[in-house]
Amino acid sequence: MSGFVNEPLLELRRHAPRAALIDALRALDASPPLRVPVLIGASEGSHDGIESTDPGTPDRLVARAGVASASDVASAVEVAARKQPTWARRAAQERADALRRAAQALRTDRYALAALQVRECGKPWAEADADVCEAIDHIEYAAAQALALAAGRPLLQLPGERNTMRYRPRGVVAAIGPWNFPLAIPAGLVATALATGNAVILKPAEQAPASGLRLVQALRAGGVPADVVQLLPGYGETGAALVAHPGIHTIAFTGSETVGLAIIRAAADTHDDQRHVKRVVAEMGGKNAIIVDADADLDQVVPDVLRSAFAFAGQKCSAAARVLAHEAVAGVLADRLAGAVAAMRVGQADDFATDVPPVIDRESQERVLSAITAGAAEGRICAQQPDVPAAGWFCPPTIVTDLPPGSPLTREEVFGPLLTLEAVASVDDALDLVDASRYALTGGVFTRNPRVIDRVVERSPVGNLYINRSITGAIVARQPFGGNRRSGVGAKVGGPDYILQFVEPQVVSENTMRHGLVVE
Amino acid sequence: MPGLEALITEVGRSLAAAYPPAIRHPARTFDQRLMQVVADRPDVQAALFRFVDATPACRTPEELTDHLTALLDEVEDPPALLRAPGALGRSAVGERLVGSVAAAGVKHLAQRFIVGESPHAALSHLERLWRAGAGSSLDLLGEATVTQDEADAYAARCADAIATLTGAVPAWPARPVLEHDFAGPVPRANVSVKISALTPLIRPSAPELGARDASRRLVALLRQARDAGAHLHIDMESVDTLETTLLLVLDMLADPEFRDGPSTGVVMQAYLRESSALIDRVLEWCRAHPRASPLTIRLVKGAYWDHEVAEARQRGWTPPVFTEKAESDRNFEALTRRLIDARPQVRLAIASHNLRSVAHAVAYNRLAGGGNSDIEIQVLQGLGDDLQDSLAAHRIRTRVYCPVGDLVMGMAYLVRRLLENTASSSFLSAHGRGVPIEELLAAP
Repeated sequence: MSGFVNEPLLELRRHAPRAALIDALRALDASPPLRVPVLIGASEGSHDGIESTDPGTPDRLVARAGVASASDVASAVEVAARKQPTWARRAAQERADALRRAAQALRTDRYALAALQVRECGKPWAEADADVCEAIDHIEYAAAQALALAAGRPLLQLPGERNTMRYRPRGVVAAIGPWNFPLAIPAGLVATALATGNAVILKPAEQAPASGLRLVQALRAGGVPADVVQLLPGYGETGAALVAHPGIHTIAFTGSETVGLAIIRAAADTHDDQRHVKRVVAEMGGKNAIIVDADADLDQVVPDVLRSAFAFAGQKCSAAARVLAHEAVAGVLADRLAGAVAAMRVGQADDFATDVPPVIDRESQERVLSAITAGAAEGRICAQQPDVPAAGWFCPPTIVTDLPPGSPLTREEVFGPLLTLEAVASVDDALDLVDASRYALTGGVFTRNPRVIDRVVERSPVGNLYINRSITGAIVARQPFGGNRRSGVGAKVGGPDYILQFVEPQVVSENTMRHGLVVE
Repeated sequence: MPGLEALITEVGRSLAAAYPPAIRHPARTFDQRLMQVVADRPDVQAALFRFVDATPACRTPEELTDHLTALLDEVEDPPALLRAPGALGRSAVGERLVGSVAAAGVKHLAQRFIVGESPHAALSHLERLWRAGAGSSLDLLGEATVTQDEADAYAARCADAIATLTGAVPAWPARPVLEHDFAGPVPRANVSVKISALTPLIRPSAPELGARDASRRLVALLRQARDAGAHLHIDMESVDTLETTLLLVLDMLADPEFRDGPSTGVVMQAYLRESSALIDRVLEWCRAHPRASPLTIRLVKGAYWDHEVAEARQRGWTPPVFTEKAESDRNFEALTRRLIDARPQVRLAIASHNLRSVAHAVAYNRLAGGGNSDIEIQVLQGLGDDLQDSLAAHRIRTRVYCPVGDLVMGMAYLVRRLLENTASSSFLSAHGRGVPIEELLAAP
């Protein structure tokens, strides 16, 4: 990757960047709730219907967003389809320049954008800042990748024929984003589509519409035409209407497995007057396991497991949900984890001392709490920090052990601060358990034996395997990210293959022989 | 200062001349040779260090052999010395043998750097040092503190160290150079503590949190040290803990309760780009908070260089440390002069094995009118033994930093020391290679 550099994280161990973030948060709090309208072309539609609130203080209104109707969807697709060819005809360099200006706009606004995530998603500062950096990375990486792709691919050339292979945009892309990485993931979906000449309609998660608006505003400010990048806030119905629309060519989705599978089914339903087959790029659930071998350094395992399982309250598709510990160390590990969980601080996302923030909404809180109850009934709670704020969607970070084999808690995604701990007789037994899962997103192993590492690499089905480190926090161009099995379809975002999801290859073979004369 | 360079050369040559001959430490010479073989082969070094690191987690000789052979498998064309374990380890009998020999080897290495399993077990070593003309600072090695119980256990071990030492030192013979300086008496009992071990709540972006939690344990140790007449030194670790440590120490010592004691101190790391500003902050604090026994500043180059650089590069930050070794060395000398000039507000301890850095400090101290006991030179157990002997022969106040703990607890420390010893840029490595004295004493 020539010239691409990851956006530096804020050095939050220094006072100055912390103070700048707090100032940005004060400014956000002092302004009225944001208005997130339906944006179709240059026109602004309704901005009523959705109330986006602070998960840590639910009576704080962060933004009001519109709900795009089926006719809004139809209009947006029509506008996009009309303008997309013009955008596609622009030089790749011109599109890349627009994207880079958009990245610069986000960079200039990084403190405010992080503050918005703290309020809108309850995302702690370090995670919010990392999300903004990742958004910038995705945009710049997409620009660089698209420029490289514009040169086409080398083919074998023989006398008398000229062969070329190039890539053309697929058309109109529906990008359906999640709330947990409210800027970064939509940025990856949208920027890759735009860089290759597609038009994009973004449907942000109803829990985080304001971050989606900020992304679209930055892209438009950078020079992407309003008709080519549009915003349709709304609930699931808006997303479903978008997916079902025959004018959509590609659906780029990150979210739950249930919604992802519904999208795949809907996209397969091809209209009579539809001249293309829809493609779905979907990043879905996970049930990610960390294997701890007998020779692991528990000093390293404890903090890395806690970070993997409980940072952002476990609300990352990459988060650790299971620990499979060798029986020789499982007891000591459980004790140390218990003490460490008891020392964790559950609190507001805007407090730099918070380890575990609230979950996103009441529904999430209820789901996590009932999973904890089930864990206590089926197994045993071996670690918990019960001291949580009363108001807000807080859940006590919890580790459950002694679960019966095959318990749903070890199979189904909870998406919250709940971790299970199972003792295994060997790393191979742990790998059998991992292999039995229908998910294969991330995984980890702690060991100091290179042979064990080799075996885990060979046997693990996961898309992203982490060795002797936490299993979250994939970085663009360094750890391209995405799952296998029912965790996702499509190539890894932030990696070299991702861009190919948004293009159609075209091969041209020209006969250059005329009357026996070969024209080179 | 006129005459400084000439005096540095004089002092340096004199110190070097008093280094004991290699014959006095035959086992050590063997280690040194092994280290030099390793220094030329980064891949072998990586394999052996990773093996040392894994040793305490292996439960049987077979497991040790498994790790050793797996790690050596990754080395292409291993040196002759290391081919035997690979071949032998593949047979059942050989497996047990190789594992046992390797375990003994690691234990031997560890014993060079770690003086005992407990403060009590270390006492005879500390007394031997004292009789030979060197003081000591006891450091309790430990696993990372991740729970409140672990923080309590570490604090209890520190309390035991203070009690054990203060109980034993009165019986030691008088050593005037070691126990008196320009500011008054210097305690014989000296314990170093790490803030990161006193709390599980170190959060680099929330330094107040860890400082608050560690303070309740530190305050008890300060009281105990004051009442028993021990020196309590607060170590410095990576930049992630720097603000927590400074906040805590400066805040706690500002309490009038501790104005008259104990003798205590902090560490300044010369490899930090911000070290000069940090010293401003500490000296300003010293002016505002006079103490019966001035704060000791231990000046070190810094032991977390690789960690700091890698972390900064991964996150896109400017490394907080100087990336050229000469910059650290120059800064070390500049800070040495500043801190000597800051007397009597502070006491200064120079912690380095670099003959040039030490000679510079001794020479500048002399030119500034200080006596041999007005500055302290600190060395690490196992790494600075030759320098320590030479300093003692020159009757310059010397203190040996003595880690205490079992092998599991000490492994992180041991690996760091091994890395330091074999870094091709290190002074010890250069000295071992036989670099001429003029070059070793040249201004950085």
